Amino acid sequence: MKLFEALALAIAGLSANRLRSGLTMLGILIGVAAVILLVAVGNGTSVQVQNQVQSLGSNIVYIYPSSARVGGVSQGFGSAQTLTQQDVDALNDHSQAPDIVTAIPVAVASGQMAYQNQNWFASTSGSTQDFPQVRNYQVSNGSFFTAGDVRSSAKVVVLGQTVVDNLFGGDPSAAVGKTIKIQRQSFRVVGTFAAKGSAGLGNQDNVAVVPISSAWAYLTGGRGKNIGQIVVQATSSDSVPAAQQEATQILLNRHNIGDPTQADFQTQSQQDILSTFSQITGALTVLLGSIAAISLVVGGIGIMNIMLVTVTERTREIGIRKAIGARRSDILLQFLIESMFLSGLGGLLGILVGAGLASWLNRTSLQIAGGALPPPIVSVPSVLLAFGVSVGIGLFFGIYPANRAAALNPIEALRYE
Amino acid sequence: MSDGLPGPAPLIEIEAVTKVYRMGAVEVQALKGVDLQVAEGEFIAIMGASGSGKTTLMNVIGCLDLPSAGRYLLEGVDVRQLNDNQLAAIRNRKIGFVFQSFNLIPRSSAVHNVEMPLIYAGVTGGRRERALAALESVGLGDRARHQPSELSGGQQQRVAIARALVTEPAILLADEPTGNLDSESSVEIMRLLQELNEEGRTVVLITHEDEVAAFARRVVRLKDGLVVRDEPTIARASGVTA
Repeated sequence: MKLFEALALAIAGLSANRLRSGLTMLGILIGVAAVILLVAVGNGTSVQVQNQVQSLGSNIVYIYPSSARVGGVSQGFGSAQTLTQQDVDALNDHSQAPDIVTAIPVAVASGQMAYQNQNWFASTSGSTQDFPQVRNYQVSNGSFFTAGDVRSSAKVVVLGQTVVDNLFGGDPSAAVGKTIKIQRQSFRVVGTFAAKGSAGLGNQDNVAVVPISSAWAYLTGGRGKNIGQIVVQATSSDSVPAAQQEATQILLNRHNIGDPTQADFQTQSQQDILSTFSQITGALTVLLGSIAAISLVVGGIGIMNIMLVTVTERTREIGIRKAIGARRSDILLQFLIESMFLSGLGGLLGILVGAGLASWLNRTSLQIAGGALPPPIVSVPSVLLAFGVSVGIGLFFGIYPANRAAALNPIEALRYE
Repeated sequence: MSDGLPGPAPLIEIEAVTKVYRMGAVEVQALKGVDLQVAEGEFIAIMGASGSGKTTLMNVIGCLDLPSAGRYLLEGVDVRQLNDNQLAAIRNRKIGFVFQSFNLIPRSSAVHNVEMPLIYAGVTGGRRERALAALESVGLGDRARHQPSELSGGQQQRVAIARALVTEPAILLADEPTGNLDSESSVEIMRLLQELNEEGRTVVLITHEDEVAAFARRVVRLKDGLVVRDEPTIARASGVTA
């Protein structure tokens, strides 16, 4: 018997019981749709996190002070003040570090800011004139402070969009030239940053940047010329590991440390951060996919159940077919194709529903638990896999009922009422 | 059968065939050594009360069941040597079944039902035409698109006969073909079988009714799994009342 004829027989068999076939298909449909949608959400999260890590800057290596040890007791991450301005200057020496474009120091002082009757809380970073280039900020109004401002400890500040929103009602042009208070010190707004438009890894628009000398002088209090981190920009994404290596070597030499495991600082590249997050989001995707896969298995059991009922109901028909010359393999094929058709069509519809829901979520930007759900991204491999698995489920769960039908004794089957 | 005359080569040759069923712990001997020969072109009625073994004999003749012992040659082929698929092929090509309860496939049109044996035979070209021709030959050419549920009992049985004929089988095997029909339809169906026999088709009929058996040329009576009488019909019912 030709495959096409077996397919025609199967379709005729299924359409004889439309409601039942439809409900059985629904089980697979929901399973496949769930797999596709949840894997898409996982992918979307992963891509969003990647974008956020990219938005931290391009080709970046962070250097943090290590935990200080006082009398053998670790004081915790960032507790040491081992990084100095001289370290930064050394890293900016291109003859020693050819793969480093710029290194900037960052000192963070958080504090209350106020303008007239508005007040807001944001972290204030002290840095140098290279900050926008390294951290990938665009100045939207006014300008960034200059090297002269850094030398003279000028009380000037550049604000991020969130700060502008909260102090100046969202109007950057109104902010430039005004004087705001940071920790009761007056700073003149010289510029504003364009919004980076990403949430998640801390709001990157909720920033204020002042010259690092001014931060030391007015904001960081009695902690001296503390540098919380050095941000190093490599010449290209390929040279990030080289830049990381050069920075490590320069600082080890400067700090007279022979054994790298005893280093009093830590370096972390964007790739390091990215791979950490990729691991997390990858695990999330697998978790979501597995949960959805369970519903696919449940759908498969539904198919097996219905196929068993169908075989019992059609015992007499099977007897007739055998009497007029159907071989075991003909009967087997007919019922196998029926179950695979059910699951395959259910899978196709599930793909449509899953992809449809994903694109609907993309357009509505649903809010869940106060945060925006990352836009789901439907991946082609997940679609192909889901379809293949659904057909496979039809095959797997259809074999037993089909075998039972094929093995029926024609005499008994013909006598069956 | 021993009339001494050199008749045509036997189509069916059954020698000392027994059939034993196991029902739980009890063994039931349905056939206790049946001898039967049917020549090509015969119209034979196998009669017997229920429990006489006639249904078992029909299953054996129709290759739905194999004898426990003895020999059954169909066109000279020993069916006990055949495997499942070969038996299915024999049922498909050499035997046309007509059942008491018609046994059409529900929700399939008449023509599709008739076409079915050709599908299993692997025939690809001209299937629909052959099925329509078979329906035509039983006088149902105009009912081809109807489903079994839209046909009367007599019509359904004609469809079943068309289905039995479509592969041009050696034997038409009819098991109580009039059992579910009113007397008028019964006569029509029996006349149809008679006509087919007159055209040269071998017909084996299983029945317990004398009026039905009267359409055959020869009657074999079974009792308790043995052939007790085998003789030509005396007053043969006429297909066309003169």
